[in-house]
Amino acid sequence: MLGPLALDDLRVLDLSEGIAGPLAARLIGDFGADVIKVEPPDGEIGRRIPPFFRNDPDPEKSLFYLMLNLNKRGITLNLNTEEGAAILRRLASDVDVIVESFSPGYMADRGLDYASLEQENPGLVMTSITPFGQTGPYAHYKGDEITAYATSGMMAISGTADREPLKHGGFPGQYESGMNGFLGTLVALYTRDLTGAGQQVDLSIQDIIASSLVLNQPYYSFAGGIQGRRHAEGSNFGQVMPCKDGYFVAQPGGGVTWDGIADFFGKPEMKEHRFADVAERVRHGPELDQVILDATKDRTMAEMFKTASEKYRMLIGIVQTPEDLANCEHLAARGYFEEVEHPVVGRIKVPFHLWNMSASKSTYRRAAPLLGQHNDEIYGAMLGYDAAALRARGVI
Amino acid sequence: MSPDHSPTDDAKLPLAGLRIVDISNVISLPYASGLLADLGAEVIKVEGHGRLDTSRGGAITSVLCDNRIGDDPWNRIGSFNLLNRGKKSVALDLSKPEGRVVLTDLIKVSDVVMENFTPRVMRNWGLDYPNAAKLRPGLIMVSCSGFGHNGPYSQYPGQATTLEATHGLAAVTGYRGGEPSKAGQSFVDFLATWALVSGTMLGLRYRHRFGTGLWVDVGMYQLGTYMLSESVLDWEANRRLAERIGNRHPFLAPQGCYRCAGDDAWCTVLARDDEEWAALCRITGRPELAIDERFASNDARMANHDAIDTIISAWMAGQTKFGAMETLQAAGVPAGAVFDGRDLHLNEHVKARGLLEMVEFPPERQMGKRRPMIGRPWRLSKTPLAVRGPGPRLGEHNQEILGGVLGYNAERLAELAATGIIATRPTTNARKPVSMSMEERVKSGRLAAWDPDYKQRLGIED
Repeated sequence: MLGPLALDDLRVLDLSEGIAGPLAARLIGDFGADVIKVEPPDGEIGRRIPPFFRNDPDPEKSLFYLMLNLNKRGITLNLNTEEGAAILRRLASDVDVIVESFSPGYMADRGLDYASLEQENPGLVMTSITPFGQTGPYAHYKGDEITAYATSGMMAISGTADREPLKHGGFPGQYESGMNGFLGTLVALYTRDLTGAGQQVDLSIQDIIASSLVLNQPYYSFAGGIQGRRHAEGSNFGQVMPCKDGYFVAQPGGGVTWDGIADFFGKPEMKEHRFADVAERVRHGPELDQVILDATKDRTMAEMFKTASEKYRMLIGIVQTPEDLANCEHLAARGYFEEVEHPVVGRIKVPFHLWNMSASKSTYRRAAPLLGQHNDEIYGAMLGYDAAALRARGVI
Repeated sequence: MSPDHSPTDDAKLPLAGLRIVDISNVISLPYASGLLADLGAEVIKVEGHGRLDTSRGGAITSVLCDNRIGDDPWNRIGSFNLLNRGKKSVALDLSKPEGRVVLTDLIKVSDVVMENFTPRVMRNWGLDYPNAAKLRPGLIMVSCSGFGHNGPYSQYPGQATTLEATHGLAAVTGYRGGEPSKAGQSFVDFLATWALVSGTMLGLRYRHRFGTGLWVDVGMYQLGTYMLSESVLDWEANRRLAERIGNRHPFLAPQGCYRCAGDDAWCTVLARDDEEWAALCRITGRPELAIDERFASNDARMANHDAIDTIISAWMAGQTKFGAMETLQAAGVPAGAVFDGRDLHLNEHVKARGLLEMVEFPPERQMGKRRPMIGRPWRLSKTPLAVRGPGPRLGEHNQEILGGVLGYNAERLAELAATGIIATRPTTNARKPVSMSMEERVKSGRLAAWDPDYKQRLGIED
């Protein structure tokens, strides 16, 4: 039985493309809102992003698209026609939120900027997510995951000092930006509940990733220090190290003493002063690494993770692959995945719940829309247009 | 930078009038409640004086203000003040029943409780959500833990720096063909921060509409794995495992990070279609390569990426990192210089965006008059937000909160102080702050560089 959801009184237009904007709009939908995704007639960029289901580059089979557009209905609309822009203005007059990711100026060129839409709908919240934000000298710069990592300061401290800065794998910055788009929208909505007034929320992906640098940024403003990348000397303890069937990372701290860590590795010599003392440990780093490598060469990731966590209450990580995550019993116990039934792809298990709640839980209701799937329902039944005529005129 | 904030302004903030009890430690949840303080909530940081928050010293070896240890290093760490901005501090011994009585009294007059203990702790104290909600109808509780409050790993200890391996990021991060690598910051902490503030806002709107509270249970492992969703789906659908490809793009070429003229200077660039590729060829002085069959399509460029790297590297070597970025962007090619900590403070775009806000420090803090710190990455066109003040001194608001909010009389306050339930200095030996000059830090590789004139550069000379 589902109770009421925190956002189940809202209607949202999702004009965004790619990863960050669509994720932000989807999260609003996960908590109850009616989200209508508005795509150009040939589909948004997200439909062309690999990986594809069974490696088939069909616009209905992008796995990114399938996941990021759950809980949305979908229509097409050509904003480059006057009639298309007029229809959008009509739609915008009766929604609570618009999420968009166009280059700054694109909406204004079509009379669809916040100042214009607000005239008809003063409660409108418009969330704009772009690589460098709506203002500032780089506002029109192009961006992607790697440029966001570079310009945020994150890459300068990732990787090793003897090599080039290293971005994180995948697209975590885009996901992080989707989460912030959702969050910024929530702040604007809560404010609107109190004041009645909507507003524009302007998010720069550069700002979002840079906001993670809470240890790095104050180094400069409080002492003038500039962090770089790790020097590959001293001990690798605390970094990724190999074991029998993969890799692990362990670190001191948490609920365990150094002696406890030595016991976990089964190496009494680790209790000697040369390893037990923090400063000495750095000096004897290569020796310590050898002791640990010897201790772990015949141990598996699964055993080490369980023993260290349960028996020693020690901080340990194991390098899990996407396959391990897909099969993880803990994620299953948390109810993390949803079985999605998609008209083209069929049944597929999809990562869904970012976190859990005792009420107003994120709720899976519908698969991602096929291109223009709800044109008749929304243009015809809801708005009273002749959908076939709009289609014939190239508007949808 | 930050606008002037008078009390009248604060009363207009969206969370004005809401009280949050924040019993959290380290990074993720303290940052979340710090952002909620920016939004106007009264955030009371309940912290131990016998067991200091590690961001007051210890595990987080961030630098002290001006690298000077002084009398109260636990109050003068830069990152502590960033994370805990705008809060009030009550230093309370929660290991004693008398301390937990005070906590219980605080929960009774609060709207939100935020905690990031291992799941069993609040339960053992009888303060888990079902019990805490009885103390205060409509209460919103926000919990953050390594693995969440149910499931086989729920009692496992977890911190971002080890979790990033377990949640799958390390497996796909690393130089091409090399070993898995850790991220440059405790990555999942920040995902948790955004989730925790979102969960709080959802809870507040839910309460606003329906009159009842709820519990938010964020497990950092689960949240971290979400950022790998497309790779999990790729495994589910295609039985393909993402590989470590360094700075290359999984399906577009070219993409990379190239060395520029200058010390540790780098610029990233990519071309996502033939048009951007042609512009890149033009800028690097090799327009003929746009129609060269080795590079004429994305597939061809993927196959001949090494050759392209050589060409781009040669051009980049003669450019400054910002020069390369500006030239490429002017031609419509996505490019980004690798910003370091100094660039974040001095770059004109970051300045124009106002990401860093100037925060005033009172003279008794001995931290200078003002310091820039990270604000928040959402600009609201009609709700100006700002960091409302530095992080609190340990126990700075014991009297104000216990006397003023809870109405404890002077006698009771004196007894709590005499019995060590409340305090204003640590009663434990916090790990000694690292005593090392900035020059030594650079020499030992802990820092890449040091600007002795950083205050002039930032315009914060006293």
